[in-house]
Amino acid sequence: MFNKRGQIRIIEAFLAIAVIFSSLIFTTVTFPSSPNLAKQKSLSSFGMQALIELDVNGTLGKLIEQRNWTAIKQSLDISLPIGVSFNLTIYDENFSPINSQVIQNTNLLGRETVSVQYIGASQSQNIQLFILRLQLAWTR
Amino acid sequence: MPASSIDTFLACSVMIILVLSAMAGASKLMTPYISGLSHRNDAERFQQLASHLLLSTGIPPNWGQMRETIPSSLGLAKANSFLPYELDIDKVSRLNSENAYSLTYSELWESLGIQDVAFQIEVRTLFELSIDLISNKTQGNETIYEFEVATRKSGMAVSADLSGYVVIEYFVDNVTSSTSSDGAGSFSVNIPNSVNGTTLIVVFAKAKANPQMVSFNVYAFGHNSSTPFLNRTFLRLSPLNYVLNVSFTYPDTEILKAQAFTFNYNFSLTEETQGDQTVEYSVPYLLDSSPMIIVLTGLNGSSSFAECVSYPQLPLQIGSNFSQSIAGAKIISQSHIVTINFALYEVMTKWGGTA
Repeated sequence: MFNKRGQIRIIEAFLAIAVIFSSLIFTTVTFPSSPNLAKQKSLSSFGMQALIELDVNGTLGKLIEQRNWTAIKQSLDISLPIGVSFNLTIYDENFSPINSQVIQNTNLLGRETVSVQYIGASQSQNIQLFILRLQLAWTR
Repeated sequence: MPASSIDTFLACSVMIILVLSAMAGASKLMTPYISGLSHRNDAERFQQLASHLLLSTGIPPNWGQMRETIPSSLGLAKANSFLPYELDIDKVSRLNSENAYSLTYSELWESLGIQDVAFQIEVRTLFELSIDLISNKTQGNETIYEFEVATRKSGMAVSADLSGYVVIEYFVDNVTSSTSSDGAGSFSVNIPNSVNGTTLIVVFAKAKANPQMVSFNVYAFGHNSSTPFLNRTFLRLSPLNYVLNVSFTYPDTEILKAQAFTFNYNFSLTEETQGDQTVEYSVPYLLDSSPMIIVLTGLNGSSSFAECVSYPQLPLQIGSNFSQSIAGAKIISQSHIVTINFALYEVMTKWGGTA
């Protein structure tokens, strides 16, 4: 026959194991699910690169001066990978938006976006500065 | 043995077994997380490697122009450029295995100097241009060919201006057209019936939204003859450092005409040197934001041929073949927009595991 001290030790063993497992469950639940920073970084890299390359030879500044929002939207459509949604707002030096037309391919509402800011200038004699804010998100 | 000792022994055994199983369970639970931590920075690391590849010139900085030089450090950027992501036309051309001075993947891998990484580099135009011959009819002493053209980026229509050239023997003609907002367009060419053989239709497309976004394609067909000869049947064309090296596959090959085409211009190439089974032509520098297509027409016996090469020599894909990777292997693909001779292209780099 087992005596009571032995039974208590068995109960102790089970209690110990319960403590270990519960702590494990607790830690796995509370492991921070790290946000996918790499994906966001690659998005901002796409955006910045697209703006830099579109501004080679002052093309982007020229299109802004001409108020050719459709051409800017089409250029971004071609430059950015398929699966990336964007919205571009162009501000003047006083931070007032100047694009009279929305420059976007799809609505970004409710999406996790990254924002890229780029400063461009016109190539004309009266130099004008433009601040471009490009918001990007992965299409779900 | 007293009963209490047996109880204690049993309790200890149960405790040890349970603790060991708990440890085993814990390690099993933790393994993916710990292994995830060790690969956590892979994406950023590969992104930095891609940027290094496209922003540095490599060593020596002008290795692209030096035919036999293998760079001690790999970088594709143009030397002395003030633009970020501007690539050297010759460094890019040397990545193409069809170029006589191309580098092999193992040479590139050693030059990159990162032992635990395999990679693939792909350079292509920002959008695709497709050409289809839809009809032909003979009218008097010439034949009229009608072509359908489509300009698209991954299925999305791109509206573009078109510039096309027809090349056969000594005959060259230029046509212009455009594609509408649905990316579709057409044009026709008239070819005299006095010539025959492989005919090339070289087409350039410039996006209406941005003249630096250019695509190109070449369509080959037989005029007054059966099927056209495939490219590289008679010649091996290798442009480098604004010199076109031509090596003949067959000794009795005669060159009729060597021409270079861009979106806005076309001109004849001048012969520089002639060797045994080789000939070299100098290629002029152009400020046109367009790739250059070099076409050589010639005769091999009674066969009339036309062969071409683009400068930069695109499209190209070099490196590790990730399509045969082990399932579950982590591969990171990155796309960059780059400038080569004032025109924009897309560079896709893929990075993964151990080479």
